Amino acid sequence: MDRVVPQAVPLGQMEVFQALQRLHMTVFSQSVSPCGKFLAAGNNYGQIAIFSLSAALSSEAKEESKKPVVTFQAHDGPVYSMVSTDRQLVSAGDGEVKAWLWAEILKKGSKELWRCQPPYRTSLEVPEINSLLLVPKENSLILAGGDCQLHTMDLETGAFTRALRGHTDYIHCLALRERSPEVLSGGEDGAVRLWDLRTAKEVQTIEVYKHEECSRPHNGRWIGCLATDSDWMVCGGGPALTLWHLRSSTPTTIFPMRAPQKHVTFYQDLILSAGQGPCVNQWQLSGELKAQVPGSSPGLLSLSLNQQPAAPECKVLTAAGNSCRVDVFTNLGYRAFSLSF
Amino acid sequence: MSSESSKKRKPKVIRSDGAPAEGKRNRSDTEQEGKYYSEEAEVDLRDPGRDYELYKYTCQELQRLMAEIQDLKSRGGKDMAVEIEERRIQSCVHFMTLKKLNRLAHIRLKKGRDQTHEAKQKVDAYHLQLQNLLYEVMHLQKEITKCLEFKSKHEEIDLVSLEEFYKEAPPVISKPEVTMGDPHQQTLARLDWELEQRKRLAEKYRESLSNKEKILKEIEVKKEYLSSLQPRLNSIMQASLPVQEYLFMPFDQAHKQYETARHLPPPLYVLFVQATAYGQACDKTLSVAIEGSVDEAKALFKPPEDSQDDESDSDAEEEQTTKRRRPTLGVQLDDKRKEMLKRHPLSVMLDLKCKDDSVLHLTFYYLMNLNIMTVKAKVTTATELITPISAGDLLSPDSVLSCLYPGDHGKKTPNPANQYQFDKVGILTLRDYVLDLGHPYLWVQKLGGLHFPKEQPQHTVIADHSLSASHMETTMKLLKTRVQSRLALHKQFASLEHGIVPVTSDCQYLFPAKVVSRLVKWVTIAHEDYMELHFTKDIVEAGLAEDTNLYYMALIERGTAKLQAAVVLNPGYSSIPPVFQLCLNWKGEKTNNNDDNIRAMESEVNVCYKELCGARPGYQLLTNQLQRLCVLLDVYLETESHDDSVEGPKEFPQEKMCLRLFRGPSRMKPFKYNHPQGFFSHR
Repeated sequence: MDRVVPQAVPLGQMEVFQALQRLHMTVFSQSVSPCGKFLAAGNNYGQIAIFSLSAALSSEAKEESKKPVVTFQAHDGPVYSMVSTDRQLVSAGDGEVKAWLWAEILKKGSKELWRCQPPYRTSLEVPEINSLLLVPKENSLILAGGDCQLHTMDLETGAFTRALRGHTDYIHCLALRERSPEVLSGGEDGAVRLWDLRTAKEVQTIEVYKHEECSRPHNGRWIGCLATDSDWMVCGGGPALTLWHLRSSTPTTIFPMRAPQKHVTFYQDLILSAGQGPCVNQWQLSGELKAQVPGSSPGLLSLSLNQQPAAPECKVLTAAGNSCRVDVFTNLGYRAFSLSF
Repeated sequence: MSSESSKKRKPKVIRSDGAPAEGKRNRSDTEQEGKYYSEEAEVDLRDPGRDYELYKYTCQELQRLMAEIQDLKSRGGKDMAVEIEERRIQSCVHFMTLKKLNRLAHIRLKKGRDQTHEAKQKVDAYHLQLQNLLYEVMHLQKEITKCLEFKSKHEEIDLVSLEEFYKEAPPVISKPEVTMGDPHQQTLARLDWELEQRKRLAEKYRESLSNKEKILKEIEVKKEYLSSLQPRLNSIMQASLPVQEYLFMPFDQAHKQYETARHLPPPLYVLFVQATAYGQACDKTLSVAIEGSVDEAKALFKPPEDSQDDESDSDAEEEQTTKRRRPTLGVQLDDKRKEMLKRHPLSVMLDLKCKDDSVLHLTFYYLMNLNIMTVKAKVTTATELITPISAGDLLSPDSVLSCLYPGDHGKKTPNPANQYQFDKVGILTLRDYVLDLGHPYLWVQKLGGLHFPKEQPQHTVIADHSLSASHMETTMKLLKTRVQSRLALHKQFASLEHGIVPVTSDCQYLFPAKVVSRLVKWVTIAHEDYMELHFTKDIVEAGLAEDTNLYYMALIERGTAKLQAAVVLNPGYSSIPPVFQLCLNWKGEKTNNNDDNIRAMESEVNVCYKELCGARPGYQLLTNQLQRLCVLLDVYLETESHDDSVEGPKEFPQEKMCLRLFRGPSRMKPFKYNHPQGFFSHR
């Protein structure tokens, strides 16, 4: 593992403070640029760093290639979620959504393209935004987080069109079911709710913790991660990681992972998940653990697969979490190297 | 032809005798023909070509006559005899002609030879003349070149330049009308002028010499006068001592100090001067004194740079002794080491008085052979300090000044040239001797004006006043801060060991009124033990756990929950914050590896330390951090979500007011305390 090498330089006040900051950094979110060559990562200090994947993956990569090309202060609070449209990078954290132009972002001192705040109910505390979801058909963005609602924002006009209520506790994650189109949301209240975007109504609710096979009361009932593949959905968090058949709302496969999972995604015929513990887990749909590949952070919060067609040489899996490093897996079998803030 | 020859013959018959012929020969040549016969003259007149023809004709005739005679003789007959006789006579005549011709030819030959001979002689004579002349020419040329090459002595003298000459020389000497045109005269004039000038200067020199003699004599007289004055002044000084004391102006004392200061080696002298100046100008709490034996210093009369000569002498001695192979080599090595590490007998003592009446005593020594300064420190307080067990290292003379500037641990010699010296006597590092000799910190060298450039070791590093002056103020301030922070920590440790976190009243606002978790234990741990702990690996790898730091372990408890905190205390406290690593034992072991909230708690004390500093100068940082940890543990335990499957009430009922229990993808607990509202929220 390429951890930070102890410095021989005597540490003054500044160096000690920076070292402590790096030790306590958490990378919450990642997003790949539309051209596929850059990766944006957002951390708990509100900074976004842009890494050049093409430089880091090239054969002449040096140590500097694993450092960010540019780092800027995006938000006052942590950057919990980021998505990329075909021109913009949208980031959200402490209650605000901001967008940045990918073309401009590499220049130092770039300013956000726009920023806005969804209409919140409470005014005592600004709720965080935990998850962003792009709905390409409608050209809209769905935000969900601390105020227990899903807000829809039209990307062209910037107006907030809908507010879907139903969760009783804050929302962790969102997933899009392209066909219908439906949105799935999982929250702290332990339920996965399906919403129909045209009617703006909740069509289905799955209370995961009520199913005995997957519930784990000692971890809690919260749903930390969601992924969906038309008829199937996989979710995890406090309860065990489970594959559900949506139409019948039945759990079909339970993945035997003790640690709560914070991110899950479908990839080809596998399910990749990550959470507490340093490994990225690869599961077969039947429930068997195919591989566990260790990363460099003690816990992972975000996985990102670079499947942009424009840059096939940068097709990598990147994982980030409770450290200042983003692990890059060129091949799902092992960790190639780590980018670091 | 024969008729001609017969004509010629006729005068020939008349021959004269010797004497009258002589007399007649004295006359002119034109008469010779008529008077006597001379064949020489005849030769000139006859044409050789015609003579040759005549000869050929005569020969032919002879041949013919012979042939006729032969004929006649062969025919025989008496009458023939007359013809034969005639022919015989004719041939006789021809014979005569031939003889004459022969004579003529001989005479011609002789004449020709004589002429040639004469001409040759003439030519030889001319040739000789030519040789003579050439020789003379060559000789003359040589002489000329010799003359031309002749350098007269006058060219070796540097004469003044022409313009100067015409300017300065009096017209009597320079005679411009004459010399301008004539270079020879000009040179003569210049030489004259040169001679003049030299004479004048010689005069002046003699005068100055005599002046000097006079002045020297005067000086002697005055010196004697002054030396007689000295004892009188001394007596006056003695008499004025009581007056000085009465007026609180200890000139005498200061004077004595300056006296001893003169015997200080240069770096100590620089330190003394700069420290006294700083003390008088800026900081009345600083006092400077010189300790040690002046006599010993005088005994080392050679200035410290010459100690290198001593060293080379001792080197020579070393070589000699190794050749002799004395058995006591180890003892000799020891002696050499002692010699190398010898201190100058004088030392400078600085006393820094702090606000709370505690004093930092610094004694500065100079190691002569190594050209470095060292310092020994001691802290005395107004009241007797009872040292708590954990505070052992805080004020110990060995470590109280460690890392005053980052990285300045004082265990290695700052002078790169010393390494070569150490190799000669087998000293590995100065670290083994620092307890005895004092610490050679870099700031000590700077205060003494010694600057050791890292790149090339220099042999002669001289003490520089400006270097010392530029560092004096900062260093004094840092020293005071260091002593005060250590004393503050000392007091805090005393309280911490009793389980009380001493939070000052001006920092109470940072914490809620009710804090249930208690500090149970506070101990020092060794550096190696810290490195062995399983939850401190990140700090070690980040290079924040050096051996110059101090390490402690705190234990905070509430109910069944035990929180261990490993603390790294940097000598530069409180500008460099202490770093905490936590391990919670409650329902399993939780560290920052497996629990995001423990990580958040560490972040609250490590990263957000600036708000915990309290009032300047921020010595309360450690205690505030410990108090905050207690508060964080309270929040953590009370906000733990209740496990529905387990029977029974929660061990820790929630008493803290929180807006939300969990937030964000990592489900953080609300660790931030808001004052004065008194509720907890998320950062």
